[in-house]
Amino acid sequence: MAKKQNNNVYDLRAAKNLYLEYLEKGKEIRNIDFPPDTVKIDDLNRKEMHDRLYKLIDKVLEKIYSTGRPSIELPSRSSSNIIWDEENDLLLLGKQIMEKQFHTLTSVADITRLMRVLEVVNELLNEDIHATKREIFYTDVNLFQEQKNSDKSIEDVATMLYTTRNSTHIVAAPKGTCVGRLRIRDRSDIIDLEGLGSGGWTISPMLDNIEIIESDAEFILVIEKDAAMMRLAEARFWRKYPCILLTAQGVGNVAVRMFLKRLSKELNLPIFSLVDSDPYGHYIHSVYLRGSKRLSYESPFLATPNIKLLGVLTRDLDKYNIPQEVRIKMNKQDEKRTKDLLNEDFVKKNKAWEADLKLALKMKIKAEIQAFASHGFKFLTDKYLPEKLTTGDWI
Amino acid sequence: MDIRIFKKKDGGFVQLIDKEDMAEWPIELPLLFIEYIRTKQLGSYGNAKKEVEKYLDEIMTDVAIPRLVSVLEGDDNETIIMALTRIEEISRKDIEMAKPIRKYLNNLLKKNNKQIVKLAQAISKNFTNAERKKELAQKRKSMREKEKLFLEGKISGEEYAKARKEYLTLKE
Repeated sequence: MAKKQNNNVYDLRAAKNLYLEYLEKGKEIRNIDFPPDTVKIDDLNRKEMHDRLYKLIDKVLEKIYSTGRPSIELPSRSSSNIIWDEENDLLLLGKQIMEKQFHTLTSVADITRLMRVLEVVNELLNEDIHATKREIFYTDVNLFQEQKNSDKSIEDVATMLYTTRNSTHIVAAPKGTCVGRLRIRDRSDIIDLEGLGSGGWTISPMLDNIEIIESDAEFILVIEKDAAMMRLAEARFWRKYPCILLTAQGVGNVAVRMFLKRLSKELNLPIFSLVDSDPYGHYIHSVYLRGSKRLSYESPFLATPNIKLLGVLTRDLDKYNIPQEVRIKMNKQDEKRTKDLLNEDFVKKNKAWEADLKLALKMKIKAEIQAFASHGFKFLTDKYLPEKLTTGDWI
Repeated sequence: MDIRIFKKKDGGFVQLIDKEDMAEWPIELPLLFIEYIRTKQLGSYGNAKKEVEKYLDEIMTDVAIPRLVSVLEGDDNETIIMALTRIEEISRKDIEMAKPIRKYLNNLLKKNNKQIVKLAQAISKNFTNAERKKELAQKRKSMREKEKLFLEGKISGEEYAKARKEYLTLKE
């Protein structure tokens, strides 16, 4: 049983010990050595981005003058070029290179879109402003035709410049929120994330303007759902247990994951995720943990390999006596997704995770975080989370 | 740069940005940062308070003041105006934070730029107002004591009237 102090406050011993361990290891866990067969991506400032962009254009011009048949080379983003780096537990982009020719009928539309995006990036950098992916699409609807085409070109541009998408000043629309024991700087403003009410701070996609300036948090909790975030925010969870709460309302977008990565790297705090006990919740955790396949070239800047799956674990359902009526039967797709996850190398490597997914498959049940409300609205904040953080019951 | 870590007695830690990372900040921001931590956070730092205060003093002497001085002594009027605008705002909120620039105000008042002079005058006025406010608070305190003594019959009516007159003059 977890050790409790007076007035029902748990001491969060296990989480604190993990924090001390991280502080002792210091930089060792913050810096990653990448395998030689993977592509190295840089997070660049405005000047560095300009330099890289001009170099690329110079190269294309040189090719036009020398051969009359210009082309652009960029790392392939196909699944065969996505490598799971076991040591760092990250999905990374391999060194397969593809070539886009300017003069073939099949690639001419693609190349024109790429060049248009490059032009927009140059404009954004010159003006030192940011644009969303949607805005990029609307810069030339006739050319892009569908947003998926402009999105693809944006990702291609970032890949061929060997940089993060945020460095191109093309950003995702704001999605996630953050609240708790953290102070940040946004250009000339100091923002206190404890003083913004229960709604918290909307995570800015313009992360190059954001700097972490102070925190006395002892851990970070990433929450899948708004409803659970609301419960914790209303309880002012961070006051009783010094922490930073973050939600992306589902799978974290680039801004949320990049911000979490920054928090992890700079503050060196333990990070825990609280997701539904279903294959989609586990998938969300996996995206924070080792990155997504689509954005594998950015994984080093987006993934937080030290994130722990705090809950809701399948084994928690019996342990915390979750009533049968709030457990949901898995459908065929849930079963398929669970099996797919069990086939992933990073799950196979983590025996506790594998066991929990196997248990879910055996019991054929899933449950939402809200299932704990069956024990009362405060059960999540007053018992479940603090007890698990005290006993170290995570994966 | 690495973030600065301060240990608290309860086992917790306070992490603060490294002062070297402030080199690229807007000129007035290190001052705002110091003020922010002192007024809003320091009270919750427990036994780490002293160490953090020491660090904030370091930021003041190594970063905030040198950066302000370099701008205010320079020739770039646009940057001076930008810095003075923010300092004027700071001086209205917390005059103590604006103290380091007081000795540069005389030179700024002599500048051949109307906006700089206007801002320097506004900051000077904020200093004067703050001093008056402080003096008035002291007088109010002594006035209350005098009232008490007068009611107890320990001082004469003339003495009380004299103190009251001084207080009212200052108040006006």
